[in-house]
Amino acid sequence: MDPRLHRVLDGELDRDQLPADLRAELERLERATALLAAAPAAGSVAARVLAAVHRPHRALAARVGQWLYERHAVTLKLRPIWSLALAAALALIAVLAGRGTGPAVLAAGEGIAQFVGRFPGAHSVEVVGSFNDWRSGSLPLTDDDQDGVWNAEVVLPAGEHQYMFVVDGEKWVVDPLAGRYVDDGFGRQNALMIVRPVVR
Amino acid sequence: MKVATLLFVVAAGPIGLAAQSVRGRLQGRVPESAIAAVDSLVRAAEMESLPSDPLVKKALEGGAKGVSADRIVLAVRQTAGQLHDARALLRRGQAGEPSADEIASVAAALGRGVPTPLGERMASALPGEPMGPALHAVADLVGHGFAQDSAVDLVVTAGQKGMRGLRLLDVASAAVAELQRGRTHAQAIADVRGGLPDVPSAPPAAPGVLNRLRRPPQGVRSPS
Repeated sequence: MDPRLHRVLDGELDRDQLPADLRAELERLERATALLAAAPAAGSVAARVLAAVHRPHRALAARVGQWLYERHAVTLKLRPIWSLALAAALALIAVLAGRGTGPAVLAAGEGIAQFVGRFPGAHSVEVVGSFNDWRSGSLPLTDDDQDGVWNAEVVLPAGEHQYMFVVDGEKWVVDPLAGRYVDDGFGRQNALMIVRPVVR
Repeated sequence: MKVATLLFVVAAGPIGLAAQSVRGRLQGRVPESAIAAVDSLVRAAEMESLPSDPLVKKALEGGAKGVSADRIVLAVRQTAGQLHDARALLRRGQAGEPSADEIASVAAALGRGVPTPLGERMASALPGEPMGPALHAVADLVGHGFAQDSAVDLVVTAGQKGMRGLRLLDVASAAVAELQRGRTHAQAIADVRGGLPDVPSAPPAAPGVLNRLRRPPQGVRSPS
């Protein structure tokens, strides 16, 4: 760069004292300076890359799901007596859950009783007998395909069991397919089922 | 004196609790006027070391079926008589004291119409063998029209050929199956007798059944 341009830029020399060619060059320099001054200040490369990275906004459920999936250190302090109490409570829950009406597991000395009856048009059929103290409402039969054939499969102790069907909550019916019957002592007959223990 | 009182309380406690438990089971399910008589019959059975649960169940059955108090008491008394006869029959055929389940099983067979003399004949022909299944096998055959003597002979022969317990029911099933195939009663007996001890066993439960199994929700009690 011509030293006279430096002097003009430093304010030591008036621009009118420059020759025409240098004055034109001075004007180009001033335009370039003005352009640079108008441009925004550039940050570091890293700052510009991070600024360019798009972080999508994630839903709350997704964040909760990720939190559940990620590993977290959990510290649980319990007195041994409470640990034992907790174990006992869980064992009790497991035992009680096994006594419900869900699928059952056979124990020694138990067998399978299958109750089947054809009751077209019936709204409900249940079996009552010596195995449930003749109590209604505990062993309903089902007719899933609604073809009038009702059935139930029940775990019972091996041995003899007397029973009857109760149709629509009021009509007591002897199982016509039982094959074994016994005088009920009240002027009618009960069906008799002999349950065999399941061989393991 | 204090020791005697304590001993009395300890001895009488379980009896009182048992009586309370019987009344508790009957309360609200059997006519009130029948409860005292049934309770008395139950206690008499316990005093004789007879199984009492079948008596309670008979009373509950009567209550569930809406039977009158008088008929319930009559039926419970009849059941007690069957249990008594069953134990007497079993005592003749075996050395030890029969179990409550054995007594109940034989009583159920007698309730199916097997005459006591027939049971005694079975007991002497098959000494030491469980009588319940044998008598039920006879009752199965008689229930399908077989003559009592033929039925007893077939079951005794099966027992003498080594078949025991519930396998004797398979003998009766085999004879009934022959009948259903068109054989006469005599032919069915002869065919099964000729094939002993080879008779088909009862088929096992289908695999799908195991997934649908349920239990009576209020807890399973002993067989009738």
